[in-house]
Amino acid sequence: MPTITVSYSDICSMLGREFDSTYLCERLNMMGIETEVIGDELKLEILHNRPDLLSPEGVVRALKGFLGIETGLPKYRATPSGITLRVDKSVKSVRPFISAGVVTGVKLTDEIVASLMQVQEKLHASLCRNRRKGSIGVYDLDTIEPPIRYTTVSPEEISFTPLDFGRTLTPAQILREHPKGIEYGWIMEGWNRYPILMDEKGRVLSMPPIINSEETRVTEKTERLFIDVTGEDERLVNWTLVILMTSLSERGFRLHTVSVEYPNKRIETPSLRPKRYSLNVKVTNELLGLNLKPSKIAEILKTMRYGVAGSRKDSLTLLAPPYRGDILHQVDLIEDVGIGYGYDKLTPVAGKVFTIGKKAPIESLADRVREIMIGLGFTEVMTYTLTNPHVNFELMRTTGDAVEISNPVSEDYTIVRTWLLPSLLSVLRSNKRNPLPQQIFEVGDVVLLDDRTETGAVNVRRVAAVAIGSRANWTYIKAVADALLRELDIAAEVRGTDHPSFLGGRVAEFIFRGRRLGVAGEVHPEVILGFELEHPVVALEFDLISG
Amino acid sequence: MDIDPTAQDLDVHEVKTLLALKGGERAPVKKIEESTGLDHSAVMRAALRLSQRGLIKIEESEALTIRLTPEGEADSTKGLPERRMLRILAERGECSLDELQKVAQMSPGEVRIALGWLRRKEWAEILREGNRVFLKITEKGKVNLHEESDDEKLLKTVSKWGEAEVRKLPQDLRSEVGTLKRRGLVEVVERVERSLILTDLGKRVLEAGVTPTEEISELTHELLVTGRWKNTKFKRYDLSLGVPPIYPAKIHPHQKVIEEIRDVLIGMGFVEIKSRIVESEFWNFDILFQAQDHPAREVHSNLSLSKPARTKLPSPELVRRVAKAHEKGVAGSTGWGYKFSTEISRKPVLCSQTTVATVRYLTSRPKPPVKIFCIDRVYRHEKIDYKHLAEFYQCEGIVMDRGLTLRNMLGYLRQIVTNLGFEKMRFRPGFFPFTEPSVEADVFNEERREWIEILGAGLFRPELLRPIGIRYPVLAWGIGLSRLVMMRLGLDDIRDIFSNDLEWLASSRYPPTHAPEPLGVE
Repeated sequence: MPTITVSYSDICSMLGREFDSTYLCERLNMMGIETEVIGDELKLEILHNRPDLLSPEGVVRALKGFLGIETGLPKYRATPSGITLRVDKSVKSVRPFISAGVVTGVKLTDEIVASLMQVQEKLHASLCRNRRKGSIGVYDLDTIEPPIRYTTVSPEEISFTPLDFGRTLTPAQILREHPKGIEYGWIMEGWNRYPILMDEKGRVLSMPPIINSEETRVTEKTERLFIDVTGEDERLVNWTLVILMTSLSERGFRLHTVSVEYPNKRIETPSLRPKRYSLNVKVTNELLGLNLKPSKIAEILKTMRYGVAGSRKDSLTLLAPPYRGDILHQVDLIEDVGIGYGYDKLTPVAGKVFTIGKKAPIESLADRVREIMIGLGFTEVMTYTLTNPHVNFELMRTTGDAVEISNPVSEDYTIVRTWLLPSLLSVLRSNKRNPLPQQIFEVGDVVLLDDRTETGAVNVRRVAAVAIGSRANWTYIKAVADALLRELDIAAEVRGTDHPSFLGGRVAEFIFRGRRLGVAGEVHPEVILGFELEHPVVALEFDLISG
Repeated sequence: MDIDPTAQDLDVHEVKTLLALKGGERAPVKKIEESTGLDHSAVMRAALRLSQRGLIKIEESEALTIRLTPEGEADSTKGLPERRMLRILAERGECSLDELQKVAQMSPGEVRIALGWLRRKEWAEILREGNRVFLKITEKGKVNLHEESDDEKLLKTVSKWGEAEVRKLPQDLRSEVGTLKRRGLVEVVERVERSLILTDLGKRVLEAGVTPTEEISELTHELLVTGRWKNTKFKRYDLSLGVPPIYPAKIHPHQKVIEEIRDVLIGMGFVEIKSRIVESEFWNFDILFQAQDHPAREVHSNLSLSKPARTKLPSPELVRRVAKAHEKGVAGSTGWGYKFSTEISRKPVLCSQTTVATVRYLTSRPKPPVKIFCIDRVYRHEKIDYKHLAEFYQCEGIVMDRGLTLRNMLGYLRQIVTNLGFEKMRFRPGFFPFTEPSVEADVFNEERREWIEILGAGLFRPELLRPIGIRYPVLAWGIGLSRLVMMRLGLDDIRDIFSNDLEWLASSRYPPTHAPEPLGVE
């Protein structure tokens, strides 16, 4: 979940009242925001579906409703700025959508600048998926001469001074040399023309989604902002712009629309019109387990900043604030009724669904095997199923095929194990400082490739045991294997076999009803030494079945 | 007074020690060692027990004793260096230093000592004539030639006694102790002398008569079958002594936590199902209404596979319905509004959430009521550190029936959490891509005075349920078991869960949630 840092005193001053920080945190928790207090700072963890809360202004807007200070639909007015933004058709194949708006009457205090930078960064990281789906540009409008063009250029066609860089660069150079180009260049992989935002005079505003120009930089003297969001998803581009602009509006600044001219259409952005939803009262009560009257639901939803445009016996017509782009379905509104009602006030109701509980059969069997192995003096270990070919095959003197990870985090974990014994030998290795003898076992899953199955692989539950020390010889491990199988009512046939991990003439396979259950024997000296062990080791590994 | 019980209890060493005091009533420990033939520690152990029973008293006194150093040992046989030189001088009257040195066969160090003492004892004069230095015996030297000086007497006495108690030495010799000590010929040792003194009770026990019986430390087959055990006295052990620890073989503590939670759920009527380690993106994400560009699906969130290369999709009809839910929405939803790709659906991944297993189950058994759970491993693209594992256990459960509500959800959650032994809990809003409303449950940690998140839950979204043909509410919840294991075992580092240190495993004790009152043994 994304986190933002806000100032407690800034929050209180926007709320217009001092609140005890413990109380405030508890209320935030009940809105779904996790809190951590560090001096005057509050660290807030925001739920993924509420990017409108990624700024202190957004949090305060929601808090005002939740605390009853200001309820109902927040009113936003945006007058036309008269600015036109022309979209060239060439952007269609690279970054097709853009929304833009203007903010005037701006007074940038340190807190507002910090908040504006933070909300941009957080929106980029979360909602905009690291700028891939959307990216934001904020400029000093007084450095720009509209109309503005959103177009594309070839990598070496133009040059401009990017932010925080002392000289002019071409788009191609930006991708190679500018820190932001290096960080986000992957988004533009495979593009042969790069998106550019420029004004009437050919002055570059930005190269989305990478960097703005130094020339249009916002300073503490800036009084008018021009804001754009470009991206591949029109809904998301508009939503992001609305979140930004309405946040700034909470600071008392004035909003204005921009006329975006696509080759085939013309729209005014941002669209701050509330969205209309119908909420079924019966479904709401059924889902929450409550019995709320329509008027009560309306009252609750106003504290969640909805407007109520109409109320009937069985349904409400709601107006959702424009920044609430997360609403996909009526259930999302119902959850807001629940949150507004208070998760702390929702009393739990004991479930009455009658069913008979049952353990999974494989787990019953696994527990039986555990009991037998404990009785035989073996201690249970639990190890990772992720391993690597060196441990799973090479150290065991075998070869084979395994489920393979294409994006491993480390070289130690690149495949899923195909047997348990390498894991157990690794445990012996990490226990070299502990006294001998040692007897350990594991009941666990291995995964085998199997193209007959839907997913191309199957889990196989196994039991494996190893013992190290003076007692570790064939007689002992055979006795253990016999005891285990006897307890499971498995009368297996024992056949001498060759296995590269074991000493020749001291390893046998166990066959039951024509199926090979597994092997037991004295581990090959090369394997023992490979795991950095210095004493004899015996081992067994069987599929988990019962007789 | 009945003295029997005391006397009966005496072991052979105690009896021997007691008998050694017969007649004398008081004896130094050393003497008892000699008369009983027991070593010092055996006598002392017996003495301690006898005194605990009030049969004797142990008296301690500190004494200074002296004994010879190796140099003193040598000099006591050869004679002190000045004595040896005196003898040579007596033979020759006077003698040059060089010659003397040669004849005496002494080391330069010894010569220096000898000269010093000859002069100090006034046995010889050192004279100088031109370049020649020579020694001449004095009258006193002549007198002393056949008479031992006090220091020599002391040396001899100590040599004879082996060790001499200072206060027992004759007065005149006692003053020489310092001299010999300074010369490094004797060392002085402070020693505690213990004597045993018979008490009245001890005397009565002795009068009643005790006899030493041989003691046996181990009961044997032979003793048992021959009946000899009847005439055998078994050595009494010191029960306060520790013994080397042994540990039972044990179930892994994480497995105990799994068993605990499984017991709770089965007790509540849930049926256990299993998951698969290798899944397709279709089941792991698509069917859970996680958009194909959802952050949880990115390369840095889950582990994707190069082998197997791809998976098979379920029925085309199911895939079509799921695709529609994503693209345009179903059941009144707007959907995500993007182009769904079955190529992505086919990609294999390591199962990242056990929800997959419960949804697979629902897809094949859509009839209520259903109460199932799954405890299995899930996999994440995480670098292993003290807070993160790349694979860990998750416990997931669902309840499907007509008329279930969010408050029922909270009811089930409270029942589970209470059964796991947590008293104080709270619910707060949460977010999961496939549930709405969503809820998170915290338990209060009294020690740290803070809320700790323990599980996440919610009602499955219609966009998930409709494509698999379910029209009933489904309550779903999931618990990451690692945190529970860490709480139960008091671990701070998540890696310790799978460290498998055998010493830790052997000594680990799994605390049951509701510990029953311990059964007293009367």
